[in-house]
Amino acid sequence: MALTEARNALKSNDGDKIIGSVAMSVTLVSFGMLFLTLMMAFALYRFTAPVWPPAGMERPSLLIPSISTFLIALSSYIFINFQKNIEKGTADKRSLLFVLILGLGFMASQFMFWNQLKSHGIYASSGIFPSIIYSFTWIHAAHIVAALGLMAWLYGSLNTPDKLTAVKVSSIGKFWHFLGIVWLIMFVTIFVL
Amino acid sequence: MAFFEQEIHDAPTTFLSKYVFSFDHKVIAKQFLWYGIAFLGIGGMMALLIRWTLAFPGEPFPVIGHILFPGNGGVVPPDTYAMLFTLHGTIMIFFAITPILIGAFGNYCIPLMIGARDMVFPTLNMLSFWLAMLSAVLLLASLFTPLGGAAGGWTSYPTLSTLIGSAGIGQTLWCLSLFVLGVSSTMGAVNYIATIITLRAPGMGYFDMPLTIWGLWLTAILNAIFLPVLGAGLLLLTFDRVFGTTFFLAGAAATSGSGDPVLFQHVFWIFGHPEVYILILPAWGIVSDLLSFFARKPAFGAKATALSMTAITILSTLVYGHHMYSTQMSPLLTQSFMMLTMTISIPSAVFFANWLGTLWKGSIRFDTPMLFSLGVVFVFGLGGLTGLYLATVSTDLYLHDTYFVVGHFHYTMAASVLLGGFAGTYFWFPKMFGRMMNERLGKIHFWISMVGLNGIFMGMMVIGHAGMHRRIYNPFVYEFLQNLIPLNMFITISALTMGAAQIVFVYNFIHSMYKGPIASQNPWEVGTLEWTIPSPAPHYNFKDIPVVRCGPHEYGNPNLVGKDFQYQTEELVKA
Amino acid sequence: MNLLLNLFMKHFVTSADAASNVGFWEAMKPPIDISTNGHLIDSLFMLTTWLILFFFFFVCLGLFGFSYLYSKKRNKKPFYTHGTSRKHIAIVAGIGALVFIMVDMQITTISNRDFVNVFLNYPKEDQDIVRVQVLGQQWAWNFRYAGKDGVFNTEDDVVTLNDLRLPVNKPVIFQITSKDVIHSLYFPNARLKVDAMPGRISRMWYELTKTGLYDIACAEMCGTYHYRMQAKLTVYTQTEYDAWLNEMQDRADFTTEKDKADLYWGWKWLADTK
Repeated sequence: MALTEARNALKSNDGDKIIGSVAMSVTLVSFGMLFLTLMMAFALYRFTAPVWPPAGMERPSLLIPSISTFLIALSSYIFINFQKNIEKGTADKRSLLFVLILGLGFMASQFMFWNQLKSHGIYASSGIFPSIIYSFTWIHAAHIVAALGLMAWLYGSLNTPDKLTAVKVSSIGKFWHFLGIVWLIMFVTIFVL
Repeated sequence: MAFFEQEIHDAPTTFLSKYVFSFDHKVIAKQFLWYGIAFLGIGGMMALLIRWTLAFPGEPFPVIGHILFPGNGGVVPPDTYAMLFTLHGTIMIFFAITPILIGAFGNYCIPLMIGARDMVFPTLNMLSFWLAMLSAVLLLASLFTPLGGAAGGWTSYPTLSTLIGSAGIGQTLWCLSLFVLGVSSTMGAVNYIATIITLRAPGMGYFDMPLTIWGLWLTAILNAIFLPVLGAGLLLLTFDRVFGTTFFLAGAAATSGSGDPVLFQHVFWIFGHPEVYILILPAWGIVSDLLSFFARKPAFGAKATALSMTAITILSTLVYGHHMYSTQMSPLLTQSFMMLTMTISIPSAVFFANWLGTLWKGSIRFDTPMLFSLGVVFVFGLGGLTGLYLATVSTDLYLHDTYFVVGHFHYTMAASVLLGGFAGTYFWFPKMFGRMMNERLGKIHFWISMVGLNGIFMGMMVIGHAGMHRRIYNPFVYEFLQNLIPLNMFITISALTMGAAQIVFVYNFIHSMYKGPIASQNPWEVGTLEWTIPSPAPHYNFKDIPVVRCGPHEYGNPNLVGKDFQYQTEELVKA
Repeated sequence: MNLLLNLFMKHFVTSADAASNVGFWEAMKPPIDISTNGHLIDSLFMLTTWLILFFFFFVCLGLFGFSYLYSKKRNKKPFYTHGTSRKHIAIVAGIGALVFIMVDMQITTISNRDFVNVFLNYPKEDQDIVRVQVLGQQWAWNFRYAGKDGVFNTEDDVVTLNDLRLPVNKPVIFQITSKDVIHSLYFPNARLKVDAMPGRISRMWYELTKTGLYDIACAEMCGTYHYRMQAKLTVYTQTEYDAWLNEMQDRADFTTEKDKADLYWGWKWLADTK
């Protein structure tokens, strides 16, 4: 009978993956809009200012932000490998640990960057350009911290893998790559250009 | 199409897991409903204080005035007045209407009407409610800070909302409170979207969903996209207040700044205009369904209604600039926003025509939910049409920031949404609590509310056209407004009437919860999925996941025998 | 209830005195229009009102008419239709198009025409015009006239507080900014308002047609005493205005404390960039 067939089809269908990907896509659109708004604000300040950086301001040195960019790019690359291994069925804990360490390294580089700015006498209240640099990196860093928390939790749960593990890995992976891309855009627009 | 079937969980046993930290979407919906009704009461009381001040300046507010403002002889002081209208707006929009229409009806209706056992992420759902609770605590706490709560209007434009215009922690708490609420609503939105996409009962295509679900779905999409925009604005504002950044400081007041206060207005209205539709879309959906249910005939052009709601959703993201004509954007932008705004009236006209088409040659039952739905058609007609004055730039130069605007957006956002919310409450009450609400009291509630709210908002439009501007403590210091004293009194008396009518509702609601007549499984003879299960709905909703075979609006088919409607689980009878 | 009635009577009587013999309908009218272009806004308002009433009449006709004709009592058998036939779709689409063409196109065209041709069409700088700089602050309006030298932000400027005086029948251009928070310069009698924003200079122009004393208000929420941010507009005949301005200019030479930095909030007049 069609009725029981439809119901049985439901039972046999494993929807976790689809749900995970739908929900994560919507979530990333939300986060994307948050950062898009910030970038819009930056563009507005950038293009309405007569000179950029504003008078009396210097561009911060590119060294530390470049290191941050390298760290986060490398971590994303390792995460992709880690995810491939998970899909093959091997719980590659060492790779994840490496991603976590690189993430912490990124945070450390951010703190160094803020300290460097402070030692040059540049504070969040010193004008619109420092306001942008500090606020945007703060907001991004807060998301990095959240993502690292998720990854630590994932690391713990790898000991008891279940059918949800692959969904967790791919969702957290998407979030991590997303944050990497956001950082890259911020690095190029705010620091380089 | 559904992708999988949720398991039936055991019924919760302890008080905490059943009523407080519940994962059940129906309990969370009721929690949101109580939360919303409580804030509706607080916000309504604030409205009465505001109205009293405008009609009787310098007179103490009766009964509770002396308790609330002992230092001022019972009269609302000017700084408190600013706080009152700020929090009235904030509370009504974010803490009353959002929880009732989206939190309560969204949670209640989505799984039941699409044939699911719960939301796809029950824990996220619970978290969403408790974050909303945290946000409410933050907002109410701001009232007890030394300098009082936020007082810069619900839009909180900088630089008034930066430290230059409002010192004290109240405004900061306001920002944080809305940010937390934004996170909560975004969580809800992710949940709603994912649930509707993945958990529809087998056989239910998108156009087999009731229009209520369409409204809620589009709302959730707008929420997920645009709440983060507000979130970003609020974060920057908070940084300005707490860390001394200079995003919104400019001119003489900014010592080190080259920021721009107008940026906040852009960000705010990029969110704020869709927000208007976030609030009204669920009400439109509910009304589109109820008109068909009670006219006992299929919804006229249901697909066109759904598509025009979608069109409005898309257009709503492109028109925000009409809130900012008076900031003198470039003329080209102003003109484009005017044109784009005007196009919204095409889809609006389409679903108005469909609503009336649904009534045409029906066999209309005037139960309370239907009365409220018809009320929505009336007030939204007025509210929508009066928007035209504000969309054309030259009339807006005069009407901007006057009571005309206040009247207009109360018609659309307050009157229509409130009536839609009441329609939904009367309609789903039997399914929620297993008892019927009193029809006679419901009708009294409807008619008094209708008279009251039209008195209020029509009056506001008249005084706005006469030039009275918004957010003023005492309008009568202006000579050109002194003619308006009698009209202002009329509005206040209408407001008191409207307030009194809500006592009838609260009494009816609480009394019916315990003493109302027991509701049958399907008291309204409606065919959508939630009426195929007992009232009140069991904690697992559907013992067997239903299979959908026809649309949600199958009424009055002449070939039906014995009844005039079909359940969605039945094979469509050919006409 | 009694309390309410007493209050109502008390206020109604006093207000009736204050607004001496203003009729019921008269009280709802906008304040008297004293500008050359205010009637454009009023007439567009009236046109929109008639168009809206026309369509709202049909909404009500459908709403109340169908409710009456097709109640359960009167019409036991509903007409089974999904409204998806070609005819029905055409009717609905027609209504949509009708609203757009009859209402939207009309008022948009008119509004756009007025906006571009009148409200944005600033008088030329070489014309005989009055120039005023406006500074909003919590909670007052400062007005600045260029003084004898015709240059703004110099020692001989005429600066007034909450007191704007203008000649009749002469275009006036305002350049407006704010010292602290956002304000909005609102002339109810000229049907115009524009925001005063810190860090930006906004502009507005009008020409007045009637002498007398009128209100100026702030329309944008600007703090606790927003409602008291009231200024007066005095419209003079040209001779009266010249006499007043001369007196003020003479006085400016003697009385202003020229070394006070606060006084120089003005800026160089921005020539029309269009």
